Amino acid sequence: MSCASGPGGGLRYPLRCREPWDEECEKEAVCVIMCASVKYNIRGPALIPRMKTKHRIYYITLFSIVLLGLIATGMFQFWPHSIESSNDWNVEKRSVRDVPVVRLPADSPIPERGDLSCRMHTCFDVYRCGFNPKNKIKVYIYALKKYVDDFGVPVSNTISREYNELLTAISDSDYYTDDINRACLFVPSIDVLNQNTLRIKETAQALAQLSRWDRGTNHLLFNMLPGGPPDYNTALDVPRDRALLAGGGFSTWTYRQGYDVSIPVYSPLSAEVDLPEKGPGPRRYFLISSQVGLHPEYREDLEALQVKHGESVLVLDKCTNLSEGGLSIRKRCHKHQVFDYPQVLQEATFCVVLRGARLGQAMLSDVLQAGCVPVVIADSYILPFSEVLDWKRASVVVPEEKMSDVYSILQSIPQRQIEEMQRQARWFWEAYFQSIKAIALATLQIINDRIYPYAAISYEEWNDPPAVKWGSVSNPLFLPLIPPQSQGFTAIVLTYDRVESLFRVITEVSKVPSLSKLLVVWNNQNKNPPEDSLWPKIRVPLKVVRTAENKLSNRFFPYDEIETEAVLAIDDDIIMLTSDELQFGYEVWREFPDRLVGYPGRLHLWDHEMNKWKYESEWTNEVSMVLTGAAFYHKYFNYLYTYKMPGDIKNWVDAHMNCEDIAMNFLVANVTGKAVIKVTPRKKFKCPECTAIDGLSLDQTHMVERSECINKFASVFGTMPLKVVEHRADPVLYKDDFPEKLKSFPNIGSL
Amino acid sequence: MQSWRRRKSLWLALSASWLLLVLLGGFSLLRLALPPRPRPGAPQGWPRWLDAELLQSFSQAGELPEDAASPQAPHGGSCNWGACFDTSKCRGDGLKVFVYPASGPISETHHRILASIEGSRFHTFSPAGACLLLLLSLDAQTGECSSMPLQWNRGRNHLVLRLHPAPCPKTFQLGQAMVAEASPTVDSFRPGFDVALPFLPEAHPLRGGAPGQLQQHSPQPGIALLALEEERGGWRTADTGSSACPWDARCEQDPGPGQTQHGETLPNATFCLISGHRPEAASRFLQALQVLAALQEMSPARVLALRQQTQFLWDAYFSSVEKVIHTTLEVIQDRIFGTSAHPSLLWNSPPGALLALSTFSTSPQDFPFYHLQQGSRPEGRFSALIWVGPPGQPPLKLIQAVAGSQHCAQILVLWSNERPLPSSWPETAMPLTVIDGRRKVSDRFFPYSTIRTDAILSLDARSSLSTSEVDFAFVVWQSFPERMVGFLTSSHFWDEAHGGWGYTAERTNEFSMVLTTAAFYHRYYHTLFTHSLPKALRTLADEAPTCVDVLMNFLVAAVTKLPPIKVPYGKQRQEAAPLASGGPGPRPKPQAPAPDCVNQIAAAFGHMPLLSSRLRLDPVLFKDPVSVQRKKYRSLEKP
Repeated sequence: MSCASGPGGGLRYPLRCREPWDEECEKEAVCVIMCASVKYNIRGPALIPRMKTKHRIYYITLFSIVLLGLIATGMFQFWPHSIESSNDWNVEKRSVRDVPVVRLPADSPIPERGDLSCRMHTCFDVYRCGFNPKNKIKVYIYALKKYVDDFGVPVSNTISREYNELLTAISDSDYYTDDINRACLFVPSIDVLNQNTLRIKETAQALAQLSRWDRGTNHLLFNMLPGGPPDYNTALDVPRDRALLAGGGFSTWTYRQGYDVSIPVYSPLSAEVDLPEKGPGPRRYFLISSQVGLHPEYREDLEALQVKHGESVLVLDKCTNLSEGGLSIRKRCHKHQVFDYPQVLQEATFCVVLRGARLGQAMLSDVLQAGCVPVVIADSYILPFSEVLDWKRASVVVPEEKMSDVYSILQSIPQRQIEEMQRQARWFWEAYFQSIKAIALATLQIINDRIYPYAAISYEEWNDPPAVKWGSVSNPLFLPLIPPQSQGFTAIVLTYDRVESLFRVITEVSKVPSLSKLLVVWNNQNKNPPEDSLWPKIRVPLKVVRTAENKLSNRFFPYDEIETEAVLAIDDDIIMLTSDELQFGYEVWREFPDRLVGYPGRLHLWDHEMNKWKYESEWTNEVSMVLTGAAFYHKYFNYLYTYKMPGDIKNWVDAHMNCEDIAMNFLVANVTGKAVIKVTPRKKFKCPECTAIDGLSLDQTHMVERSECINKFASVFGTMPLKVVEHRADPVLYKDDFPEKLKSFPNIGSL
Repeated sequence: MQSWRRRKSLWLALSASWLLLVLLGGFSLLRLALPPRPRPGAPQGWPRWLDAELLQSFSQAGELPEDAASPQAPHGGSCNWGACFDTSKCRGDGLKVFVYPASGPISETHHRILASIEGSRFHTFSPAGACLLLLLSLDAQTGECSSMPLQWNRGRNHLVLRLHPAPCPKTFQLGQAMVAEASPTVDSFRPGFDVALPFLPEAHPLRGGAPGQLQQHSPQPGIALLALEEERGGWRTADTGSSACPWDARCEQDPGPGQTQHGETLPNATFCLISGHRPEAASRFLQALQVLAALQEMSPARVLALRQQTQFLWDAYFSSVEKVIHTTLEVIQDRIFGTSAHPSLLWNSPPGALLALSTFSTSPQDFPFYHLQQGSRPEGRFSALIWVGPPGQPPLKLIQAVAGSQHCAQILVLWSNERPLPSSWPETAMPLTVIDGRRKVSDRFFPYSTIRTDAILSLDARSSLSTSEVDFAFVVWQSFPERMVGFLTSSHFWDEAHGGWGYTAERTNEFSMVLTTAAFYHRYYHTLFTHSLPKALRTLADEAPTCVDVLMNFLVAAVTKLPPIKVPYGKQRQEAAPLASGGPGPRPKPQAPAPDCVNQIAAAFGHMPLLSSRLRLDPVLFKDPVSVQRKKYRSLEKP
């Protein structure tokens, strides 16, 4: 439409509309529609001047009506739609009070008490989950009902705010399914987060009448506050048969290892209070106890610690003399001094988390949030998510009988380890404690990991804070291993049409004793490779691979023909390397199979004037790259180059027809964290930058291009992975005063 | 007429536009008026309640902290670490283990296991001073069963070690004793208290053990993806190509030719499916979970990582009975240590927790092995440790050469001879500490607390090095902090004629050891040398001083599974005044230690850990035809 011809290219300045109807033209959408009518106008311009004023008014009214109608239609069409999609179009707007009521007869069945010997392979039906390509379990949530007994008395509060949040989180996640027949895990909407708010027997009856209950198989219950006075059981008392329990406050006696999931007790303060992250390091108090309602024996022990160690220990209690009772939960007192809770936790290095009536304490979450290292004194307590989280890294567990020694135990921890723990504590809170959603998703992930163990999240992914994940390198070839010499290497020669030179390279390389196969990558689509009979006759298999496109990355494709781990990439004009040099290169690669082992070395330098990286090929004392015109490397790097190269580097290389070797150097250094190994002395090399081009200017162009590559790749990798070293590898007796004929590799470094 | 026509067209236009309006507007109005119906296909999620904000919290304010407390820990029927183990006896230097002597005649295996524990750093001879009392329950075949030991005390602080499933009837209640056994059942196993052991064959090597058979990192192309254990002990393999359903009933009746391998040999496959004692259950399992499909989807990176990890775990913890027992003790020691236990990284990456002592440090950065995983670098300075044996001349020239290095942080002189300490030492800017040694050769590798850097340059008073050589060697060491970087080398070889290992210090095309009279290595190896080597080996080194080099090289090679690194050494001195080795008196050439030394140490290690290297690391421009002015380490090239 002509309207869209403004300078912005879009609808922002519909020029033609603006001129006649300047005032009205305020909203873009309006403009569009007006434009339509203008177009109408333009079609019959001759009529209008001849019309009488009356008719003109008539026409204008008519068009205004049409216009208004169109606007209204537009509003109806688009406006309400956007409101509803943001408010979830599909979901019925209802009140919790309107949910259907279910009456439970007094004699309806009750599930078995709960089987302590349950394990995933005995009580869980994995066949419901099946194999699925995404390796994700499907979770179904039962519809919310209100359960009443024979007398119409409710069994419990219908649903708590937290349980509603929890079910919402599951429903919004990838795990959710609304198809009960495809589900692998069932979550009842019966809220059992707090045992004290429900009637045990009736709740059990409500569970038993769920449509897929089947003895609780594959059902998951969430409970944070188990047990009740006086003896406070450490697991939910509601009979639940085989159902899995995600519980806060398990003890070793009630926790079914590998079946139940130990979860945190959610602290409502997580959402209410914003404690900004405080860097690790020494804090005002060494040890703090801020729990209220502690048993007098524990309080005595703690106060004894305070007496012994003075200022560095702070033992707080609830405030008795505060006027406003409502806020007392956020205040703590020591003698007459008043402290804000949980802010005071940020002032301490270690925070005591003692067993109260229950093992699980919501306070643990506050402590972690404050970046304070929890000192957990609660024998037999199963820490939250301990199946996957490494609590040794974030907490100190002290047996109750050692409580009096707690100070000396903590003092023996090196400062570096304490700082590590402070960071880790805060990270655990951020990742797994801070919201009901985080708790729910971590629980489902743990169950998911059990069902699809081969796709499980690794220890590092669960436990390493993002900073560590970024800074560290996990070498894909981490096992120290010297591959057997007998395996040999596969030489891959990339060629276009220099047949004569290619044949010479083939003949030379075939003299290397450890060569086991030779692969020629024929990169010329317009010309056929020479006939079979014309190729040099060599002692190892020779294969020619024809490529579909003349791309440099074809050299690094993981061809099925490569059967050895070692690959020698070699250009079709590298005829100056001796057989001794190549064999020695292979021997060096065997000792460093995770590195690029090559002949001509290059260096990257920081250009302080230009403020960027520069490529250097002069005679330097350092190397950080080797050219892949002749280099040994592990074939796994071919896979990485072809399928895992970050960003658009591969395309960049193919488009520029340059720098594939620099890209490979970046890739290997980035993934292994190690430097290249340059082998044997420098010799006059036929390489792109020293021979193909005569004359200085072209040479310089080439250097500029290579420098550009380094800068481009460094920005894609987000770092400079190349490592600079000052050594190269020579045979043990190289240039030693020793009879040449006794040396293993005499012909090294000859020009 | 014209006006009528005009009016007619007007009405037409008007009604048309109204019709349009009604159609479009009415439709939207209709949609508003009717309650929305869910779109088919889209999942209907948990409702957004109108009154969600009004819902009550699961715990009322004040309820959480106001709980009444009861000081009794919850109790159950079985043991856990806190309840049944008394750590108060384990203060000080870690886990001390007392082993009950066998009553009556014992088998050779039993005897050797006892000897192995007695030689370890855990052992103590006094049951009173021990924190753990170990009861070996070994001799499955002799049918001999242990009786109730003396200090039983309901089994408190006891570990009952069952390497093989014992046919013994339970002669006494295990009570509070920990049990370490193979394949414990879920019902009897107490997590965090008992220890699960691998199921060991009768013929499992006692120490050392064969290294893993993995020869290459990635799987060989063309080998089977999965091998399934069969009922009669053979293996059946399935390849990716035949995976449509090789496991259904039909396939089982007609296994293709060559698919079944019989006998003891392990199958040549990427994955092996082990199903305990019920192979028939495994094939059902396969059908249900479609293991094959899952394996095929696994990325090459993951397969690579898993392959390597199996090898590492085998080598570190499984390959010999001794390793299994030491691992068990290490696990228990970690429980006692609490916060100073091994971090997970140390257990799970090479060289493993048995070789990365938590008594040295719990920070991975302090070890030479984990710099990559930690994103850290070894420290940029070294300490020179000069051993002065007889005749006891202060090594003045050497001190000056070393002190000239920009990387040197301190010099330590280990005075280890009969002469009195000289009163004056050369003036250097470098801090110089003199340690009065105890005249034992193994003192050279004692973890002196005065050594404050990661790197140690170990020297003999008669060594002769230039500052350039020291500088270059140190820069190389920084790239390989877990290896030894040395100047002079020697080799081991298999001597067919004598049927044993031989040793040569001749210059050859390869080497497997560097002389510690001039070598860089990480200070952690002093801790390992002193605390993890069996006492017998350190005694051997003291008695035959030339063995100490070999022993240190064995130790480092066993830990790293890599050869040492050689750097260039000035030629003229190499001929005229070679580096001396440990023994007394100057010699023209480093004297070969008695060949027995290599064999004795190899026997104690249980295998030959030394590996040969064929390369030397030189400066990049070493002896290149370019102006000497451009070279950083030019004095290395002086003729």
